[in-house]
Amino acid sequence: MKMISFSQFLFMNSTAIITATVQHLYLALGSELIGCLIAIPLGIWLTSRKKLADYFLAVTGTIQTIPSLALLGFVLPLFGIGPLPAMIVLVLYSLLPILRNTYTGITGVNPSYIEAGTGAGMNSRQLLWMVKLPLALPIIMAGIRISTVYLISWATLAAFIGAGGLGDLIITGIQTADANFIIAGTIPTAFLAIGAGWMLGKVEMVLTPREGLIVSDEGR
Amino acid sequence: MVIFKAVSKHYNGHIAVKNLNLNVKEGEFVTLIGPSGCGKTTTLKMVNRLVEPTEGDILINGRNIRDTDPVALRRQIGYVIQQIGLFPHMTVEENITVVPTLLEWPATKRRARGHELLDMAGMDPVIYANRYPSELSGGQQQRIGVLRALAADPPLILMDEPFGALDPISREVLQDELKSLQKRLHKTIIFVTHDMDEALKLADRVVVMREGEVIQEATPEELLRKPADDFVASFVGKSRRNDSKLLIVEQVMQPNPVTVLPSVGLAQCLTLMKRKRVDTVLVVDEEGVLIGGVSIETLDREHQRAYRIGEIADHNLVTVLNSTPAKDAFDLMVGDQLKYLPVVDEHRHLRGLVTRTSMVNAMASVVWGDEND
Repeated sequence: MKMISFSQFLFMNSTAIITATVQHLYLALGSELIGCLIAIPLGIWLTSRKKLADYFLAVTGTIQTIPSLALLGFVLPLFGIGPLPAMIVLVLYSLLPILRNTYTGITGVNPSYIEAGTGAGMNSRQLLWMVKLPLALPIIMAGIRISTVYLISWATLAAFIGAGGLGDLIITGIQTADANFIIAGTIPTAFLAIGAGWMLGKVEMVLTPREGLIVSDEGR
Repeated sequence: MVIFKAVSKHYNGHIAVKNLNLNVKEGEFVTLIGPSGCGKTTTLKMVNRLVEPTEGDILINGRNIRDTDPVALRRQIGYVIQQIGLFPHMTVEENITVVPTLLEWPATKRRARGHELLDMAGMDPVIYANRYPSELSGGQQQRIGVLRALAADPPLILMDEPFGALDPISREVLQDELKSLQKRLHKTIIFVTHDMDEALKLADRVVVMREGEVIQEATPEELLRKPADDFVASFVGKSRRNDSKLLIVEQVMQPNPVTVLPSVGLAQCLTLMKRKRVDTVLVVDEEGVLIGGVSIETLDREHQRAYRIGEIADHNLVTVLNSTPAKDAFDLMVGDQLKYLPVVDEHRHLRGLVTRTSMVNAMASVVWGDEND
């Protein structure tokens, strides 16, 4: 095969690259969303069950240590190939950062705010929605940001079990020793990860409440 | 309004509050005071059921609070906490109207109430309503903390060392504001503090606690006059107690009284008295030895007859030595109905003058504590 320039390559494969990128986002963000839907409520539920929380954090921590390729191997016989097993693996990986940050974010809310809320007559649900969650939100968002960035880069491995995405381009490149394919898979992945991290970082900043410091009256 | 009936609180073996009986009347400002760990905060928190008593009952307006849902109960009681506890993610207005929000007041009514309260505290709603707590000074933050407790107009307000974190100047200002607010709005306030000055200043009644027990409950006046025991006495503080026996005349006198020489003419003396705004002058010789005194009455009576001050001075003045105990000097003044009492040393040199004003100052420093120590 004669070598072509990268720009020519892009022009010829633009459709494939765009399809792969969309597929990739779908895989990573879909898994992240499911991960949030599981880990955030779980984390909230665990804040009142301390012993159980330690257990859950240990389990999700252990999942995190299993090499991703190995985990793909485990789900393959159970769920076969395609996007479903890939998403299961990605969801499992997303759990730890979100769960841990939700749990520590809520348990770390300054007790004086809890006391102020309780003393004002909030019931436990109002206390959660009006005080605990808003104050824990920046930390929960940090967990979501970290796991999103991870999932976008790990989603490339999904190609090994036929789930598609930008990983497909990289594998093709490796198999055909074509650097263009590898670059065409890697660069969009990197941009997606950086872009997602940047955007979620912005959201985090907006959500961070200005800390209630006691400032001196002098000079006011 | 709030009645504690044999209330005790145990924390696994440790007794925080022991058989507490207390009756807080409507419109009364009661301060709970004692060293840390004396059970004052626990006592306070049992009123809005943040802490449940182990034994005994607490009645609010005759109703046992055990029979009231804690959430509903707390919405009827204002609560100001130690560390301010304004929610940093809510604006000033949202913070103030937390309880009205929980009570599901309509938005317009909530807003009006928030603005009304800000106005009352002298904070322009246009400027402050939409600020965040971090944009306020410590004094302003705690003002908002107090307004939040007032928002739903509860008859009873609990305050847990609300001014503890403030600098002394803002603390004074907020204490004054709170006291006038309480009188004006006729609120019943239970206020926890460890600062005796604050307790004496604010309270209608002070409850002194130690190790979970009430040692004394009395008006500030009674507490100062008759501390129940040495603990209360030491807590009230030495400087505020009646130890005027220890003061000597030298410490309470005015050191530079108006004096004239005996050779001074009457008209000159009158001019001097007018300029210094006094009705009596002391006559001393060149050595500073006290010769006598001349009052404005004598001057008026004798101005036709005499020419020099020395001729009309009263030589039989009652004087005291500078080392005399102040109390004896005061007794002498009161007993003999003296307007003033010159202070001299062993050689009759004039050292100063004790007047009724110096008496008042000395007594005030005994009652309120010396401002300088």
